[in-house]
Amino acid sequence: MMRKIKYTIVVLSGIFLINSCDTKDLELTNPNELSPETFFSTPAQVESSVNATYANLQTIGLYSRNYFFAMDLMGHDALGNPQLEGNKQPFQNFSFNSGSDIIQFYWESCFTGISRANFVLDNAEKINSLPESILSTARKNKYLGEAHFMRAYYYFLLVKRFGDLPIYSTGTIEGAARSPKAEVYALIEADFTFAAQNLLSKNDEQTGRATKEAAYAHLGKVLLYQEKYDQALAALNQVTGFSLEPAGSFYNNFMEETEHGVESIFEIEFNEDLGTGNMWDASSNSQGTGFAESTLRGQEYGNLSWYNVYPSDDLLDEFEAGDNRFDDTFYTPGSTYLPGGTATMTADNFATAAGNRRAGFKKYQNYYRRLDEGMQSSINFRVMRYADVLLMKAECENKRAGGSQAAAIAYITEVRTRAGLTTNINPTPADVFAAIVHERKVEFAGEQIRFDDIIRWGIAGTELAGTGFQVGKSELWPIPDRETSSNPNITPANNNPGY
Amino acid sequence: MLKLKFALIALLMISAQSVLAQSKTIQGVVTDATGSPLPGASVMVEGTSNSTSTDIDGAYTLTGVNATDKLVFSFIGTTSQTIAVGNQTTINAVLAESAKDLENVVIVAYGSQKRTKVTGAISTVGAKDIAAVPITNAESALQGRAAGVNVVNGAPGSNPTVTIRGLATMGNSAPLYVVDGVLVGNLSGLSPNDIESMSVLKDASTTALYGSKAFNGVIMVTTKKGRSGKGQLTFNTYVGTQKVTNRYDVLNTQQYVQYAAQAHGSDVSGRAAEFGNINTDWQDQIFQTGMMKDYNLSYSNGTETSTSRYSAEYLKQEGALIRTGFERYSFRSANTQDIGKLKLGSSMGLSFNKTNPERAAGGRTLLEHAIKSAPYLPIYNEGNVSGYEGPRSADSNDAENPVRVANLGYQNINVLSVIGNIFAEFDIYKGLKIRSQVSLDYFTTKDHTFVPSYNTGTHVQGFSTTAETNAQGQTIVYDNSLNYKTTFADKHNVEVVGVITKIDNKFQNVVAGSRYEISDEIDQLRNNQVNLGSSNSVESNIGYVARINYDYSEKYLFAVSGRRDASSRFGANFRWGNFYSVAAGWNIAKESFMENSAFSTLKLRASTGTTGNDRIDNYQYSGTLAANYNYPFGAVNGQGVSLGRASNPNLKWEEKQDTNFGLDVGLFDEQFTAAFEVFNTKATDILFAVPLPASVGSAGGGTQLQNIADAKTNGFEITLGYNDTKGDFTWSATANIGRSKNEVTDLAPGVKNQLVGPSPRAGLENFTRLEVGQPMFYFFGYETDGIYQNQAEVEADLGTAQTTVQAGDIRFVDRNGDGIISTLDKTNIGNPYPDFTYGLNLNAGYKNFDFNAFISGVQGVDVYNANKFDLEGMNRLFNVGTNVLDRAIVANGVVTNPSATLPRALGATGNWSYASQRYIEDGSYARLKNVTLGYTLSGDMFKKYFSSVRLYVSGQNLVTITKYSGLDPEIARTDGSAASAGIDIGRYPQPKSVIFGLNVTF
Repeated sequence: MMRKIKYTIVVLSGIFLINSCDTKDLELTNPNELSPETFFSTPAQVESSVNATYANLQTIGLYSRNYFFAMDLMGHDALGNPQLEGNKQPFQNFSFNSGSDIIQFYWESCFTGISRANFVLDNAEKINSLPESILSTARKNKYLGEAHFMRAYYYFLLVKRFGDLPIYSTGTIEGAARSPKAEVYALIEADFTFAAQNLLSKNDEQTGRATKEAAYAHLGKVLLYQEKYDQALAALNQVTGFSLEPAGSFYNNFMEETEHGVESIFEIEFNEDLGTGNMWDASSNSQGTGFAESTLRGQEYGNLSWYNVYPSDDLLDEFEAGDNRFDDTFYTPGSTYLPGGTATMTADNFATAAGNRRAGFKKYQNYYRRLDEGMQSSINFRVMRYADVLLMKAECENKRAGGSQAAAIAYITEVRTRAGLTTNINPTPADVFAAIVHERKVEFAGEQIRFDDIIRWGIAGTELAGTGFQVGKSELWPIPDRETSSNPNITPANNNPGY
Repeated sequence: MLKLKFALIALLMISAQSVLAQSKTIQGVVTDATGSPLPGASVMVEGTSNSTSTDIDGAYTLTGVNATDKLVFSFIGTTSQTIAVGNQTTINAVLAESAKDLENVVIVAYGSQKRTKVTGAISTVGAKDIAAVPITNAESALQGRAAGVNVVNGAPGSNPTVTIRGLATMGNSAPLYVVDGVLVGNLSGLSPNDIESMSVLKDASTTALYGSKAFNGVIMVTTKKGRSGKGQLTFNTYVGTQKVTNRYDVLNTQQYVQYAAQAHGSDVSGRAAEFGNINTDWQDQIFQTGMMKDYNLSYSNGTETSTSRYSAEYLKQEGALIRTGFERYSFRSANTQDIGKLKLGSSMGLSFNKTNPERAAGGRTLLEHAIKSAPYLPIYNEGNVSGYEGPRSADSNDAENPVRVANLGYQNINVLSVIGNIFAEFDIYKGLKIRSQVSLDYFTTKDHTFVPSYNTGTHVQGFSTTAETNAQGQTIVYDNSLNYKTTFADKHNVEVVGVITKIDNKFQNVVAGSRYEISDEIDQLRNNQVNLGSSNSVESNIGYVARINYDYSEKYLFAVSGRRDASSRFGANFRWGNFYSVAAGWNIAKESFMENSAFSTLKLRASTGTTGNDRIDNYQYSGTLAANYNYPFGAVNGQGVSLGRASNPNLKWEEKQDTNFGLDVGLFDEQFTAAFEVFNTKATDILFAVPLPASVGSAGGGTQLQNIADAKTNGFEITLGYNDTKGDFTWSATANIGRSKNEVTDLAPGVKNQLVGPSPRAGLENFTRLEVGQPMFYFFGYETDGIYQNQAEVEADLGTAQTTVQAGDIRFVDRNGDGIISTLDKTNIGNPYPDFTYGLNLNAGYKNFDFNAFISGVQGVDVYNANKFDLEGMNRLFNVGTNVLDRAIVANGVVTNPSATLPRALGATGNWSYASQRYIEDGSYARLKNVTLGYTLSGDMFKKYFSSVRLYVSGQNLVTITKYSGLDPEIARTDGSAASAGIDIGRYPQPKSVIFGLNVTF
């Protein structure tokens, strides 16, 4: 019996030993995530923080899905076929409200991008304290320049849609109140200016990054939107080393193999080969997490695919006879596709439950090289083309005090000549302006530019008459409920007029 | 051998004694009620130390017995018998199982208690109730049986959602599960056949000993153990079928073609004709009659010093949706061994589960696809890659073929789980015991999905995809406890328990996915378009626990407990939490003035105490960087790193103060029983992932975990029971009802009025909300007031500027009267948590027949029926409910059918996109969960081979009374979180089932 008791005691004390309550076990470090305290100690870390600011461009809220829908539908470049999803329909008749998920994802995508840019800029001191031998001053500045560029880019997307905005020039988790639009523009101008002064030129920079020229072109656009025509022209004049794709090669602006061509100043990058596994994750809506390196643009618009939208009659009819951009912008019955043009579209390829359509979009479609869009496209959005710079310069000349209508006509002519058109514009400010309005509508058809233009020109009320557009309301989107329910400084009562 | 030696020694001693006394020798056999011999039973001459125990055949011989003596026969788990010797020399005894004794012991934290000494709120469900209904998961046994416990079932193999006494937290609201002292994540590996009893601990005085883990209440499961006596072999089996009989009424092809033309201006008659105007009932295609079968074999035996039980089960359950199902192999053993003052024991459960879950595509359920698919489309098309038909642009309908979604490829979730413990208990000195226990909950999961390529028109996948997640988790709990139990002056009963407990929890997983363009033959991962990831997480807890129970002659009861807990989930400054409870009870029925009253039980109870909650993800207090952003720079991937979660070093324990008053009543020797509970709960510093202002843009989902809210919950529970016997007829009935109502009492500044819930469909607004003075996660949206009949009505409300809303659209109530329908007009339109849950259980027996009927229900609950968006939304062309035939028809700006119940087709966006009363329905229901009729065979033929053979037939969910228009008012949460309760997005409805079963005891 004694032996048993002894044995028992040994067993029990063994269990107790295993069990000794060591409070050290409570001190745990997270093995799955990096820690903010030790970051920014190598050039690779600096670069990765900058890379993250771009990733938000690929969200569902922006160029992966919603941006082209919302902008093309509001500009009436495109109209919805019956199969267009319910959350996208309201953008063609301006019936969206503050509960719209599309508006929410747009807002979140842009502001998340801004917070990532601020993460870089808030650590400027750490970045600048890296020794020159590890990271040169020029490269430090260009990384900071990229962060400034991206912050301005996202704020510009926001200010166009929402007007007054909360301004975050450093990272925080406290929601700010809305500041006047003019202050937002001041920040955007300052950011693009810093970027223009510190970024590398397109020739010296890795493909796809923001460049000095992209910064000047965007600075010019921002100034133009504020009707600061002289300053805008000065900035746009800094955009050098670019030219239009030659006549007959207009479509180079919309294919994958010809990305970053002579005309392309800034692109939103997609490359499905790098991975698309996270495309449908909830985090894709506005976070840009994981691999979602393709856009749905081709699948959504393509008349051999989902064909959710079709080019409006208004847009089709805007093209002059002989404008050779028409066949590069639209597919119509009889259009050829696939490499070598071996396949021909028939009227049946434009069938919808609401009858046959006249056309489908061709820009950014993959049919030039494959039969189906396959849910993903690698074709980059050329969001800043040299043609835009030329037409913006024309507008500056047309509008600025002491501007030259002849110079304006020359810029327009450059664009029209490439399209195979002759130019005969009466050199009065009104006629030149009308020519710019027309030219921008056809040159950038289906490129999400038209709606911004007619809003800033103040002609949306007439151009969109009868569509549901309400002057004094529809120019701006409502601040999403997601913001007004979580930011004590922006309440539903602070929303834009009419919402 | 040891036993034989002891027996020999005992016999020798006894025979030595018999030489001295002039007396006789008594012989006999001790058996149990079934006639089986009981070895090791004690036989004693009353009032003396003259005793013996029975041998392996239940036989005994006792010498030195006088004719005036009385023999006392006793055996563990039976009622002892006293028999006067007289002139007998052979005395056989039959010892009946003392069921009552078992029922009167309640399993509590770190021990058990006599029912009469309990001072807190505990509901119990015993093996008999569990066995009465063939269920596949143990949680279901509580539904409608334990007052205040709400159980919502999901698909086969999924864990039911269980809430006790409503909602007190905004995060994980699942209770703590403790199986034989082992903390486990869920009960999915446990066969209900192996369960002896389940105790639901509901108030702080009973849960405080699990302090940090017991915030949502505790469900204690005691598994069956061996009993001393002859070995018992039982075999239980059932087979049955289950099916979903409800359907949504949707348009047939003829109606659909007409509706498409009239409501959407879409001519699909050509497409319908192309397929020969067939009529596919997509709902019939996705539902099936599922077979169920279950085999369970167990063997238990025991001696005076040891017990053991072994069981094995195989369960196979085909789901009511095609290609869904659940399979489980489980094995369980439990052993105890007494070695003098040392008791050793272990239990080990092993289970293999295989689940085939409902397949989903595009984030939509099969049911959603089935509702929306055009009825003229056939299921198959040999000409398409994959062989299935699907919609094209000309159909204007992109609902995916649900049969393809379900059938193409597969998803298998295989889980291996091991739950076990080993303990040693040592009697140190007169009632002072020390006990050490190590327990383990271990699982591995392999979740493998394979989808081959397909091309069905609109829906194309030009490659096969394979995804696999391998996960492994383990929880090891070390408990060391000291227990001292004593009674002095015959009245003062004291029990003191002290425990040191440590919990170590680890979880890791590897996630991988790839695609393959070349072939569909390989369903394994390829090194092509690969996604990879892994994570690893650790959690540690330490707790010091003490409890003192004192009672005076079981009349006046007091209990005090305290617990000091540390959790690694909180930062160093807020790591420790202290919790306590005090309770008192008064057994009025034991007072002398009650001696001749009808009350067999009359007890008042009161308790109050605190518990804590650390059920949050690990490492939440520290800030992180997220390293998972990518952007292509040309052909090169740029890896991005940016701010992840914002740090919150001030994270601390969520705390809850529970106060409970109870009254237990038993009349006429417990023929009538009643228990009343009233409770009041105040939760403070509730942890919640607060949505940060979207504009601050913090990544990681844009939330930060904060201690933001206070809330209170009030309620009561009533349980009534009655049983009666009249000749061969016995019956009993129990009824229970529970009510709980919660209200947010405080929210941190800056987080007021949060919209938190998920959006049930793309484009539909979010609508669950937190607001002071309202229930947690109530539905926030617009009230509706009919349909605008003409333009004048529209203009009277909304002016002339807007053109979107027209005659035929829904009139939303402009609560603030500003002429604009905006967020400012939203209000409380529903509460997803029920006012009452209740259950009614009837048992009856007549001769060999037994009968059980069991009703459970909830009352006063709102459901957001998101299926209505598909069935009645009419915002684009899909198949719809037949209700749309009663939509508003507008001609010349006037609704021509004023009695229309639905707005016009393709009307104002708000008709369908607004969170509004349009989608809210009363989800109350009463359901006949079970009705069973059984017959126990009798006759000598059976008695020769079997102790008992019972046949039964049972039906589940046969009748449901509800006003809810959906397929099933028992709504599983969309994502498991408390914020998504009561949202019906077309989840798996509970099937009706009919089962035939057999119980055999050898």
